Amino acid sequence: MESPVRAEPATPTLAPPAPRNHTPSLSPRAEAKEKRSEAPAEDASEKAAAEEVAAKERAEREAQRQLLATEELIYTERNYLRLLQVCTCTIRSNLQKLQPQLPNLDSMFLYIEEVIDVSGRLLSLLDQKQVTPHDPLFLETLCDAFLSLSTDIESAYKEYLSNYNTVTALENSYKQKEPLWTEMVKVIKSSAPEVNATSLSFFLVMPVQRIARYPLLLQTIMKHTDPGHPAYSLLEQTAHAAVAVNCRINEYKRFREVADKYKKTETLTIRDKINRLNSHSIAKKTARLSQFIKHETGIAPKLVDEEFDALEGFFYLLENGIAVLHENVETYLSHLQRFLSCRPEEFDLDMDGEKPAICYKEITAALRQWILPTFEKRMRTLVHKPLCALRELLVGPRNLIRKRLDKLLDYELIEEKPSLSYDEQAVANTYKTINTLLLNELPQFNGLALTLLWGMLGAFSCLHKDLAADMEQLFQGFAQQLPHSSLEPNAFWEWAECSVLEGARMLETLCRNVEDQLNAPIVQPLSPGSQKCLKALTDKHGSGKIYQLTGHVVGTRDLDLSLNRGELVAIISEMDTRGDRRRWLVDAGGPRGYVPSSKLVRYHQVTMDPPPSPHLTVTTMDCAGGVRRHSYTPDVRRHSFSPDTPQPVRTLSMTMPCFQVFAGYDFTARSSHEVSLRVGEPIRVLEPHDKRGSRDWSLVEVREQRGYVPSNYLAVVPTSTSPTTPYH
Amino acid sequence: MNTKMIMLHLTMSFNVFLQVERDFEREYDKLQKLEDQTKKLHKDMKKSTEADIAMSKAAVKISGDLLSNPLCEQDQAFLESMTALDTAMKRMDSFNQEKVNQISKTVIDPLKKYSSVFPSLNMAVKRREQALQDYKRLQSKVEKYEEKEKTGPIMVKLHQAREELRPVREDFESKNKQLLDEMPKFYHSRIDYFQPSFEALIRAQVVYFTEMHNIFSELTDQIDQAGLTDEQRERENEAKLNELRALSIVADD
Repeated sequence: MESPVRAEPATPTLAPPAPRNHTPSLSPRAEAKEKRSEAPAEDASEKAAAEEVAAKERAEREAQRQLLATEELIYTERNYLRLLQVCTCTIRSNLQKLQPQLPNLDSMFLYIEEVIDVSGRLLSLLDQKQVTPHDPLFLETLCDAFLSLSTDIESAYKEYLSNYNTVTALENSYKQKEPLWTEMVKVIKSSAPEVNATSLSFFLVMPVQRIARYPLLLQTIMKHTDPGHPAYSLLEQTAHAAVAVNCRINEYKRFREVADKYKKTETLTIRDKINRLNSHSIAKKTARLSQFIKHETGIAPKLVDEEFDALEGFFYLLENGIAVLHENVETYLSHLQRFLSCRPEEFDLDMDGEKPAICYKEITAALRQWILPTFEKRMRTLVHKPLCALRELLVGPRNLIRKRLDKLLDYELIEEKPSLSYDEQAVANTYKTINTLLLNELPQFNGLALTLLWGMLGAFSCLHKDLAADMEQLFQGFAQQLPHSSLEPNAFWEWAECSVLEGARMLETLCRNVEDQLNAPIVQPLSPGSQKCLKALTDKHGSGKIYQLTGHVVGTRDLDLSLNRGELVAIISEMDTRGDRRRWLVDAGGPRGYVPSSKLVRYHQVTMDPPPSPHLTVTTMDCAGGVRRHSYTPDVRRHSFSPDTPQPVRTLSMTMPCFQVFAGYDFTARSSHEVSLRVGEPIRVLEPHDKRGSRDWSLVEVREQRGYVPSNYLAVVPTSTSPTTPYH
Repeated sequence: MNTKMIMLHLTMSFNVFLQVERDFEREYDKLQKLEDQTKKLHKDMKKSTEADIAMSKAAVKISGDLLSNPLCEQDQAFLESMTALDTAMKRMDSFNQEKVNQISKTVIDPLKKYSSVFPSLNMAVKRREQALQDYKRLQSKVEKYEEKEKTGPIMVKLHQAREELRPVREDFESKNKQLLDEMPKFYHSRIDYFQPSFEALIRAQVVYFTEMHNIFSELTDQIDQAGLTDEQRERENEAKLNELRALSIVADD
């Protein structure tokens, strides 16, 4: 066999490109930089494009949501009307057929016709074919329809809502009679099988819910409408009108309630006694008191004082009470305003598909937008304003009382004199006038002021009652929608607290998962420097003491080390000189000092040295890159290697190669002794020299063929996998 | 491994990175919005609860101060009224406190707990971002070597670079996958988590207002004049004030 000595290594024709930088003009680093600088420019324009796309997407989403909200208004109105009609026609006629006749059935349906009528008109205005919800003009149509019908809506609903309490009372009376009620429920269920209704009030409560829902539906549409939309201000106006309608309906309801009560006969209560109370009776009482004291003591001038003192005392108490009440009421109103300024219903956590979240939103919106504001307004008109006015009126009497005292002192000095001078006479007269005036009018004042006060407190109580009544009626609309509303209080709170605990547990697990998985340090092969350091440390301290930093540490105290994540240290002591186990003394391969023990984790190493293979000697001489001995750090948590694996025998039958040989360049075999190579192919070297011992050629096996290839066409690369198939 | 990951392996183009980023951004965006809303809701609920408690205490003070004024002793009927008012206010306050306690347990605390998850999540996202940067850096290094001529040293460097890249890439992929798994799950979990809170909020208020209605209906019957509209009350107040103003002892400005 010809020795292909004259071949490849030397000739330029087939010679592998010398390992020089073959890039034309730019150095690789500059080239990479240029690529990177192109990338930001690409980046910026890509980003701008991406932002535009995102903005467009957002606008589309909003338009989509607005459309959905608008359609929801129409769809729910249609459904609502249909159910009301089912109730009024089908159910009613079926109930009328029941024997024995249901007493007062007609009064259940007293005002519902008007509600159905106005709802039908609203729907016909909204549902016409010419302008559909997709049309941008639709919003205007919607608002116009609503605004034009708002007076009619108000009149229809106000009667209905004022009468609603009688409806519930009547239904309760039906419920008392078991067999009758079961019959009714059967009729209801059979008349409207697709609806899961168990009572008449299921249907009859709908107008109560519906009127409160209009503001919210309109506000949702508004939320998703761009303020630049031509119909936006009209939409705003409509939303406000919807709130105002609700306010007025509630006011009317109260008016009717009061009027109805007045017609009923009443029994005499403390309330009536108060009605009888007026300034005269109080004046009488204080006069009586003074009379009594007169009798007891019998001393005239002092008696006058006693009477006056009683009046004066009463006045001061009144003054104090009014002032304190005034302040307290103002504090109360300021807290009320603070409460109203919160808007928790706006943050629905994107749960607008969930029933409880929706109900909560509607209830809170109603409370905050018209129920509480009405309460506040009435408080101010019926309590705060009169209180302010009353407080101002206190000034006059107070000053006059003080003046009287001054005059009294003057008078006492001259009282005993038998004859008085003209001036002294004037002084005496002044005193007497003021005294008499006060004696006459203070009782009236005291009485009137007290009655006023009493009335205000009565109003205060009544306002609370009305507030609670409004909220109760509001809640009635939602009771059936909530899944757990039928639970008894104890059962409900148990369920709620259990769910909360479960939720907390879920969160804890999630947190732990996130922290565990994502905080594990990355496994990286060691650089040669680290390798050397590791070897030095292991030799000095033993492999059991080697630890790795899981995070950067910055030394703050004396003898503290500052180290980077991934650095290797050897533990000298697991506590510091004061016994603190959180600071460990370590050897960092040079400096010694303390690091926090929380940042240290045991470092496991593979300590098998790769066997000295013949390939090594070849390549160390030729390849500039050199060969590295790597000790790989397997995933710290999963593997544990025993530090001492026996050295494999130095024969060709190596079992643990840590290196792989690849073809570095293409090579075409020119004889049968040679074998062709393609770049990157894995190769098995059989003999690192030819038959003559020349190391320029190697006998290799590749693709099941054997042959010679130029040795410097081979690349030796360390493998990363754990021990692979052994050589045989 | 999903298709995206496979694509990542095959073609490490910038576009693929961008797509992966967009998916991630979208999910993370939702979570950031949720975080924002949770924080705001928590803050608002706390504020409104505080105002609520303050209002109730102010009402108790109104009646308490009146009752402690010796004025009450002057007239038996007045004393009875004020006592009734005071009792009513105190009872309302205790119901209010109960309501607030229930809301605290079932709404405000869960809200806070939910918020406290976000720092960990955000940290995890940061770590993923770091991993991504490392990945991109090492990836470009590998690509740089792949473009060069295949000399021995280059091959060796290429392999080294690939070796360095692999754990980093795996780290990023695992972080990315886990976050892409966890984020939508967490986002969805809010529904089950908060549903009891909303129901509890409503229920607590129902109980409170029902009690309020009972207590104040009784009280109003006792101390208020019946059959009055607001207008009538206003007129009565005005009439009495005018009577007072007509007195000579009252200063008229």
